Amino acid sequence: MVGDGDTAVPEIRVEGLGKAFGRREVLRDVSFTVGRGGFLTLFGPNGAGKTTTLRLVATLLRPSSGSVAVAGYDLKDDPMPVRRAIGFISHNALLYRDLTAQENLRFYADMYGVADPGRRIGELLERVELSHRRYDVVSTYSKGMLQRLAIARALLHEPRVLLLDEPHSGLDPHAVEILDGLLGEIRAAHTFVMATHNLRQGLALADQVMILDAGRVVFSHVGRLAADEFAAVYHEHVREGALV
Amino acid sequence: MESASTAAASAVARPAVPGLAATTAILAAAGVALLAGLLVGFWIAPTDASTLGFSQKIFYFHAPIAETALLAYGVAFVAALLYLRRGAARYDRLGVAAVRLGLLFSLLVMVTGVIWGRAAWGVWWAWEPRLTTFLIACLLYSAYFVLRGAVEDESRRATYAALFAVVAFVDVPITFFATRFLPAGLHPVVLGPSGSGMDYRDLIAFLISMAGMTLLFVGLLRLELGIEALREELREIKYRLGR
Amino acid sequence: MGLRQYRAMVRKDIVRELRTRETVVAMLLFVVLAMVVFHYAFTVPGGGDLSLLTGGMLWVVFVFGALLGLNRTFAHEKDEGCFDGLLLCPVDRVTIFLAKMTANLVFLGLIQVIAVPLFALFFATGRMATHLPAFLALVVLADLGIAALGTLLATIAMHTRARELLLPIVFLPLVIPLLIAAASGTSAVLSGTAGSGSVLGRLAFLLVYDGVFLVLAYGTYDVAIGE
Repeated sequence: MVGDGDTAVPEIRVEGLGKAFGRREVLRDVSFTVGRGGFLTLFGPNGAGKTTTLRLVATLLRPSSGSVAVAGYDLKDDPMPVRRAIGFISHNALLYRDLTAQENLRFYADMYGVADPGRRIGELLERVELSHRRYDVVSTYSKGMLQRLAIARALLHEPRVLLLDEPHSGLDPHAVEILDGLLGEIRAAHTFVMATHNLRQGLALADQVMILDAGRVVFSHVGRLAADEFAAVYHEHVREGALV
Repeated sequence: MESASTAAASAVARPAVPGLAATTAILAAAGVALLAGLLVGFWIAPTDASTLGFSQKIFYFHAPIAETALLAYGVAFVAALLYLRRGAARYDRLGVAAVRLGLLFSLLVMVTGVIWGRAAWGVWWAWEPRLTTFLIACLLYSAYFVLRGAVEDESRRATYAALFAVVAFVDVPITFFATRFLPAGLHPVVLGPSGSGMDYRDLIAFLISMAGMTLLFVGLLRLELGIEALREELREIKYRLGR
Repeated sequence: MGLRQYRAMVRKDIVRELRTRETVVAMLLFVVLAMVVFHYAFTVPGGGDLSLLTGGMLWVVFVFGALLGLNRTFAHEKDEGCFDGLLLCPVDRVTIFLAKMTANLVFLGLIQVIAVPLFALFFATGRMATHLPAFLALVVLADLGIAALGTLLATIAMHTRARELLLPIVFLPLVIPLLIAAASGTSAVLSGTAGSGSVLGRLAFLLVYDGVFLVLAYGTYDVAIGE
C-alpha cells in the first residue's frame, strides 16, 4: 500500500504528459505535482489543453506519452484505485435527466461501492440543500441545482482528489456563490486540480497555478499570487483570449 | 545547363513508390504463372468427363481467386490483431490494403461464379453456400469501409476498423456453416474425395494458377502499401503546411 | 462489487425505460406494423399458404425491431456527459458490457412476450403451442446472440458519425448466420415437418454463435468502449 498516509508521495504526480489525436498533438510535456491538500489551478485560453489534462488524470483518456500517478497509484498499472480516489466535477452534470436525485446518487453509490448508501446520500443532499427535491426527476432542476447535485455526486465516495473542469461555467451568480461556499468548506480535506479561465475564481483557493497555451506549460508557480500580478503574467504569456 | 536542377525538381515532384522494382517483378511472375496455368489447363489437362464438360476450365481461375480472397481476409485479420496489440499505424495500413484486395477478389469470385453457374446449371445465380458466403463477405467488408468513413479521429478509426476486421473474419466461416442449413446447393466438388476423379494434369494446372493468383495478391498488396505510404507522406506534408 | 455494479446499471436502464418508455413502445409498434406489412406484402392472389414463410418473417421482424433498441443503447448516456460518469467509475468494462447487454435482452424479451402471441394469432394459430419448448429455446439463444453482437457494435457505433445509419450496416451482415439458423429452425418447428434432430442442430449452432460473440466481446470490450 503506497497510498494512504504517506506524505512523502505527492497526491498527484504528472510527468512528461502528452496526448495526440492521430497526428494532432493537443498536449505536450506537461509535468506538475500537487501535494496532499494542495490546490492547483490550470489557466489558459480555449483549446489550450486544460480539459485534456484533467481528462487524462481522470483516466477518461489514455496518455500518448508520460505518466500520471494519483494517490500513489500509477494510472496505467492501477486504474481502478485511481478511479476510486478521484471525484470529477465538470460543466456537464454527469447525471441522468430522467432519474430522480435519489436514484442518480443511489446508482453512483452502487458503482463506487459506497457503504451505507442511504445515510451517505441523505447527508450529502442535506449539505447541498436539495433534500426537499430528493424525489424529483433531475430534468426539472435549474442549472444551479443540477451543479449542486453534481457536487454531491462527485463527493459521494469520499474521493481524496477532486478534479474540476470549468465548474462555474453557465451558473447564475447565486449558484456560483453556493458553489464557492461548498468548495471553501471541503477545501481543507481534499486535493484539487481546477481548470478555468476565470481569474478571481481561479485564484481564490489556489496555492499553485499553471498557464497552458497550445498544449504546453508556459508558466508555473507554486504559492499564492495576487490577482493583478497574475493578470500581468498571464497576458505576457498568452496573446489570444482574455481572462474573465 | 538546366538539366541538373530539372532532374532534382522531378525527383521531388515524383517520389517513387517504395520497393517498386521488386513489386514489378512479383507482378510479372504472377502474370507468367497465371498464363502458364491457363495454357496447361486448356491444352494439357483433359476436358472434364462428367456433366461439367468444358465449363470446368474456369475452375483454374475461380477457385484460386476464392482462396486468395480468403487469404486476403486472413491477412487483414492478422494485421488487425497486430494493430490491437502494438498500435502501430503500419498494421492499420496493411489491414486496409488487405481488405480492399479481399473485396476485389470476392467480387471476382462472384463474377466467375455467375459465369460458371450459367454454363454448368443454366442459371445465372444460385443461392449456393459458397457463393452466398462470398456475397455476405462482400457486404461485410464493404461495411468495414463505411465504418472507417464514419470515424473522424485517426487512431480511433484504426482501432474500430481492427475490431471489426477481427469480428468479420470470425464471422465468415460461421456464415458458410449457416448457409448449409438452407436447401442443398449446386456447387460442384472438384477437389476432394467425392470429386470427379481429378487428373494429375488438372492438379498441376490448378497449382500453377493458385501460385500465380497468390503472387498477384502479394504484388498488388505491396503496390497498395506503397501507395498508402505515399498518401501518408502527403497527408503529413499537408498537415505541416496547414499549421 | 462487480455484481452490485451490474445490478445498479441494469436497474438504472430499466427504471429509465419504464419512466420514459421511449424505446420499448417504438420497438413494439414497429414489430406489429412490420407484421401487418408482411401480411399484405406476401399475400398472393388466390391466398397461398403463408406458414412456410412464418419463421423467416418472425426473425426478420425481431432482428429489425431489435435494431431500434440497440441504436438507443447508449443514447441517454450521451446527454449531460453521463457516459463520462460511467467511465469514471471503478468498474470493469466487461461489467458495463454485460449490463448493457442484459438491458437490451430484457427489452427484446418484453417485445416478444407481446409480439409472439400476436404473431401466432395472425399467422400460425395453434401450431406454436405444440412445440413450445423447442421454440422458446430458439428464441432465448437467438436473442442472446442478437444482444451480445448488437451491444458490442452499438458501443463502437456510439463514437461514430451518423451512428443510427452505421449500426444496421455493420450489424446485419454479421447477424445473417443467426437469422438463417433461427428462421429455418422456427419454420421447422412450426411446420412440424422436420424432425427434432434438425432443430437441435440449429440450437447447437446458435449456442456456438452466442459463445463466439460473447468471447469476442469479452476480449475486445476494453478497446471498444474507447478511451
